[in-house]
Amino acid sequence: MAAVVEMQGITKTYRSGSSARTVEVHALRGVDLSIGQGEYVALMGPSGSGKSTLMHIIGLLDSPSGGSYRLGGQPVEGLSEAELARIRNQRVGFVFQAFFLLPRLTALHNVALPLVYRGVPSAERLRRARAALESVGLGDRLDHLPSELSGGQKQRVAIARALVQEPDLLLADEPTGNLDSRSSEEILELFDRLHRQGKTIVMVTHEPDVGARAQRIVRLRDGKIAEGGAA
Amino acid sequence: MNPLENFRMAFESLWGNKLRSFLALLGIVIGVFAVTAMISLGQMASAGITQDLEAIAGRSIFVQPNFNEGQTSDTAPIRDEDVAALQVLPVKVLPQLFTNAQYESKPGERRSITLQGTPGDLPGLDPTNKIARGRYFTQAEARGGLAVAVLSDRAAKDLFPNRDPVGQVARLYYPSGGRLELTVVGVLEPPSGLFGGLSSSATVYAPIPLIWSTSPFTRKGQYDFLVLSLDKGADAQQVSKQVRRIFEARYGKGKFSIQSTESFQDTLRSITVILQALLGAIAGLSLLVGGIGIMNIMLVSVTERTREIGLRKALGATAGLVRQQFLIEAVVLTLVGGVLGVALAAGLLVLITATVPFFKVFILSPTTILLSLAVSALIGLFFGVWPAARAAALDPIEALRYE
Repeated sequence: MAAVVEMQGITKTYRSGSSARTVEVHALRGVDLSIGQGEYVALMGPSGSGKSTLMHIIGLLDSPSGGSYRLGGQPVEGLSEAELARIRNQRVGFVFQAFFLLPRLTALHNVALPLVYRGVPSAERLRRARAALESVGLGDRLDHLPSELSGGQKQRVAIARALVQEPDLLLADEPTGNLDSRSSEEILELFDRLHRQGKTIVMVTHEPDVGARAQRIVRLRDGKIAEGGAA
Repeated sequence: MNPLENFRMAFESLWGNKLRSFLALLGIVIGVFAVTAMISLGQMASAGITQDLEAIAGRSIFVQPNFNEGQTSDTAPIRDEDVAALQVLPVKVLPQLFTNAQYESKPGERRSITLQGTPGDLPGLDPTNKIARGRYFTQAEARGGLAVAVLSDRAAKDLFPNRDPVGQVARLYYPSGGRLELTVVGVLEPPSGLFGGLSSSATVYAPIPLIWSTSPFTRKGQYDFLVLSLDKGADAQQVSKQVRRIFEARYGKGKFSIQSTESFQDTLRSITVILQALLGAIAGLSLLVGGIGIMNIMLVSVTERTREIGLRKALGATAGLVRQQFLIEAVVLTLVGGVLGVALAAGLLVLITATVPFFKVFILSPTTILLSLAVSALIGLFFGVWPAARAAALDPIEALRYE
C-alpha cells in the first residue's frame, strides 16, 4: 500500500519572548507517522499534545523544524510558499470545525472556490462543484447561501469543497465539533462512505466515539506518538 | 489563476458591501470631481477669455511709438509713408489719431473727452466696432474732412443725456481755445464681454483730416496709433515679425511697440494655467484625503475578512494572489469613484455652460478624463498596497483561528 503521509523524526519548536529571554516550546519532539492510501485515521490526544501542530504540518499550513516529510511521495522540505500553496490545492482537502464557508457565495460557488486557484475554467468548475455537492446529497441546495443551510448541511458543503479538489488526503479538524448529535451522525456516516470509496482520511478529534469510527487511532502525548504511529 | 477571476471576486465583494463601498469611494468621487471640474473650468475660462478678447480687439496687431526709451515726448510719430509701406502685408491698416478735447457738461463747466481720428466706415474695416444707431461716416466723408462725428456709447450718454444724439451737433473745445462743431451721424454699441468695461471710454470719432486741420497738437500726415486688422488666415506672429522688421528698417530698434492680440491672449492664458494648476493642487488634496479613506476601509476589510483570507490560503491561494485580490479591490473601488467623479464633473460643466454666459463652450477633453481615471486608479494602487500586503502576510493558521 502506497503511503500518502510519510513522516520521520518531525519536530516543531516555537520560540517566543524577547531575544534576551527566549522561551522554547517543543510542540513536536520527533514524530514518525505513516498513513497509507485509503486509510481512515483518527488523530487524538489531550489539548497541548501537539495534535493541532501535527495536523497543520500534515496539511502544509505549517512547516516542521526538523525531520523529513513526504506527502503523496513528494518531499516538501524547502519548498517555497507558492509551491506549498499549489500542493495544498492539489493534494489536501480541508474540513474545518467551523465550516469556513464564504457567506456571500452560494453552496455551488463555495465548492468551486479551490478550483479557481487551480485555473479551471468557470463552466468546468461549476460542473465539478455540482457533481461534488450531489455526491454529498446536496444536489437540491446548489444556490443556497450558507445562512440558508443547517449546520450539518454546511459541513457537507465544506466536505464537497474538499472532495472537488480530488485530494490525496482529506484532513478534517473536529468536523463534528459544532454539530448536534443527529447531524454529527450524518457527517460521520458520510466519512464512512468516503472511506469505503477509498478516500484517505485523517480526522483530528478529542471525542472517543468519533475516533472509534476510524480504522486506526493515532494518539499523541507531549509531542510524541504514544500509540498507532505505523500502519 | 486567471487575473480576471480576481476582478470578478473584487466586484462581488464590493457589491456585497454596497453601503460601505459607496461611503469609501465617496471621498474619491469628490476628489476626482473637484480635479476634473477645476481643469475643465480652467480650459473653459481660457476659451472664454480668448473669445472675449477677439470680440473687443479682433485679430489685430497694434503699433504705437515707444515712450519708454528715455526720450522726450517728441518721439517719432507714425507717418503716411509707414502706412504705405505696410500695404504689402495681409492686413487692413487703420491709422488712428488721439487728441484731448472738452465739452460743456453744464453751462460753465467743461469736462474732457477723447477725440479720435479714424478712417471712414470703421465697422466695415474692423468688425469689432458695431453701430448701434445711425451710421458711421463714410470713407469719402473721412477723406474730405467733413465735420461729422460718431460717438461711443459713453460719449453719447455724457454729451446727450436722455436724448438721441443722432442729428444733433456736438460742441467740442480744444484746451488751447479752438472750437469744433460736429454733426453726430451715429452711435457705437458698447463693447461686449468680460473686457468690455476696460475698453469703454467716452470717445468722439471724427475724420482724421478734420483733426489735423483743427487741433494744434497734430500735424498732417502723422498718426499716433495703427490698428492692423489681420486678413483671414494670416499668421499673427509672422505678420508681427514683418511689421517689426519694416519699422526697424526705417527707424532702428526699439522705437515702436508692436503687439498682437494673440500676445495678450498668451499672457492671459498663462495666468489661467497658473490658476488652474493652483486650484488643481487644492483639489488634489481632497483626492489624497479620499485615498486615505480607501486605505482605512481596506484595512478594516482585511481585518474583518481574516478568516476568509486564511481559508483561501488553505485552499491554495498564494500570498501573491491574496495581495492581488485586495489590490484589485482597492483599484476597482477608486476607479468606480473616478468614473462617478468624472460624470458628476461633466454634469456640473454642462450646467455651468448653460447658465453662465462667460462660459460659452463645454470643454471636457479626453485627456482630462483619462488623466482623472488614471490618477484614481493609481490612488487605489498606492493606498491599497499596505492593506493588501497585510492580507498577504497573514499566517493561515492564525487567520483560521481568528475570532
